[in-house]
Amino acid sequence: MTVGLNAFILLAGLLFAIGMFGVILRKNTLVIYMSLELMLNGVILALVAFSRYNGTMDGNLFVFFIITVAAAEVALGLAIIVALFRLRQSVMVDQLTSLSR
Amino acid sequence: MTPTQSLLVVIFAPLLSAVLIAFFCRQRHGLAAAISVTAAGAIFVFSLIAILATGTDVVHASSAWLHFGDFEVNKGFLFDDVAKTMLIMVAFVGFLIHVFSLGYMADDPARGRYFGGLSIFMFSMLGIVLADNLIMIFVFWELVGFSSYMLIGHYLNSDEAAAASKKAFIVNRIGDLGFLVGIVYAYWHFGTTNLSEMGGYVAGNPDLVKISIAALLMCGFIGKSAQFPLHVWLPDAMAGPTPVSALIHAATMVAAGVYFLIRIDFLFPQEVLTLITWLGASVAVYAGFCAYGQNDIKKILAYSTLSQLGYMAAAFGLGFPGVALFHLITHAFFKALLFLGAGSVIHGCHHEQDIFKMGGLLKKMPITAITFLIGTLALCGVYGLSGFFSKDAILIAGGLGNTPIFYLLTLGAFMTAGYMGRLFWIAFLGQPKSEDASHAKESPLTMLVPLIVLAVLSVAGGWMGYWPDFLGGLIKDNLDHLHHMDHYYAMHKKVLIFGSAAWIVGLVVSFFFYGAGAKEDRLEKKAAPIYGFLRSRLWFDEVYNFYVEKIQQRFALLLNFIDIFVIKGIFVRGSAGIVGLVGMCSRSLHDGNLHTYVYWFLAGLILLWAVASGLL
Repeated sequence: MTVGLNAFILLAGLLFAIGMFGVILRKNTLVIYMSLELMLNGVILALVAFSRYNGTMDGNLFVFFIITVAAAEVALGLAIIVALFRLRQSVMVDQLTSLSR
Repeated sequence: MTPTQSLLVVIFAPLLSAVLIAFFCRQRHGLAAAISVTAAGAIFVFSLIAILATGTDVVHASSAWLHFGDFEVNKGFLFDDVAKTMLIMVAFVGFLIHVFSLGYMADDPARGRYFGGLSIFMFSMLGIVLADNLIMIFVFWELVGFSSYMLIGHYLNSDEAAAASKKAFIVNRIGDLGFLVGIVYAYWHFGTTNLSEMGGYVAGNPDLVKISIAALLMCGFIGKSAQFPLHVWLPDAMAGPTPVSALIHAATMVAAGVYFLIRIDFLFPQEVLTLITWLGASVAVYAGFCAYGQNDIKKILAYSTLSQLGYMAAAFGLGFPGVALFHLITHAFFKALLFLGAGSVIHGCHHEQDIFKMGGLLKKMPITAITFLIGTLALCGVYGLSGFFSKDAILIAGGLGNTPIFYLLTLGAFMTAGYMGRLFWIAFLGQPKSEDASHAKESPLTMLVPLIVLAVLSVAGGWMGYWPDFLGGLIKDNLDHLHHMDHYYAMHKKVLIFGSAAWIVGLVVSFFFYGAGAKEDRLEKKAAPIYGFLRSRLWFDEVYNFYVEKIQQRFALLLNFIDIFVIKGIFVRGSAGIVGLVGMCSRSLHDGNLHTYVYWFLAGLILLWAVASGLL
């Protein structure tokens, strides 16, 4: 049995939407961060699926780059969040509003 | 000591005195008076030294003062014959009035300020006398305006003095505007403001004389010398201390306008000269009429000063600047004498200035009265006294040059004798008419000595033959020129008859009309409308007040309204408001909450998508 392209696109869209709502609705920076990764994964999935159905390797290559960059980005982002927590004793976005001043 | 160094001492001695008094002697009145009088003495001594050292030579020293690109302002002396004559008069009369002030102001609580003011005045006046270019004259011109303002307003707690000082300053400013524009125009036209250089250009090419330059520069004279239509400040300026009236508002500062004309007489074309002649003659007659409506001894003398300034202007306009200078010098002597005499009377009568409350002063204050009489006779032009020679020359010049002017000036001479007679008979003869006058005593010696010296000069000042060679060269030239004109002898006889008739008729008629020591003004009783008309002074003040209050003030209010509502309200506040609103809106975007930024990011994305897909 083969899984159609539509199923992949639907899944990728769902992942992206879950991630986006997470970013919009959650207050915890860590969770927002995880949701961002989820959105990224949705995009990756779509790229892989398109690559497969087009029969080329372009999408797959792109995905490798994205995964590499995302790994580096996660390391950096988490470090920033840890540093933020040390400074403020909180990672909730509604308490981190000092940019308004 | 070179003449230039002496002149530097002359001009800086009073400045030093003024600075010392302003910084250290505001409360040490005796010291201030001593410094100021010493400075005045030094001015006189060093003026004499400078004049004796130069003889008949002209000293011209000039050096750069300021540079603005190509434009250079020089500071310098032009010490010629006219300046020498004026300098010695200003120095001498100034010194005498300083001495007089010692007595007159002895009880004044602010003597320090007063003497400082006199010193700064002497500094500015000497600057005008010596200056060699128009810009320097203008600077000192404004400084005399300031010192006049300061000294008129000496009695700080009197509203009248405060108003008078402001009036003098503002009215002068109107004339000075024309003066300033004239200087700029003259510089544009000649490329210099130096008096002798301009004189050289005009001598080389008489077509360079321009009516507009002369007319603009004349405005300065009109303001300072209180001619029509800016004469209104001078009578009010009498609110100041009497020696100030004598020094500034009779002998020197108001005459500075005439002196300025004489300095730049080469710039005047015939049209402007004619205008000045008519202005002068009309002021001479107008002021003579006004004097009959006044009861204040100083105001009568102020109108007399106006009238005599009119004579000087007329003489200048008739083409005899030397004769104008002659009358300026003799007038300075006898008018300073009259004002100081009035000061002595006012001092003796405990600051009573109304002539109808004086009376009988001849017995109480004989020296003051006799010197005052000499001044009166000199002013009226009695034969042999100084006023006779100068006024005689003016009348002859009028008679030979312009007959209507001659008759106007002769009428002025009748008026002069009349109001001076009125003043003298009422104030000095008869019985004392008030408590103050009956207790009058002769003034102290510091006040009498200047009176006596000035009385001698009022008698002898006009004897041109006895003047030293190095003084009054222009006067002698002009008189000589006058004596060699056609019909001189016939005119001389006519003037002698008219002039003598004027003072005899004026004095006798006023004696019999008003009566010796009259208690009230007979003209006021017998012919109230005429008296009221004379007292109204042709409603000049009322017209000016109406103009300022009803027209200028309303225009100013309108401009103020436009300023506040249109410029300030719409343009300034309006644009600031729009920028502020934009700021407020963009500030609300920036609340520091991460989620808000996410929403804005999404909105931005949607916008971008909409634009990219052609929806917008």
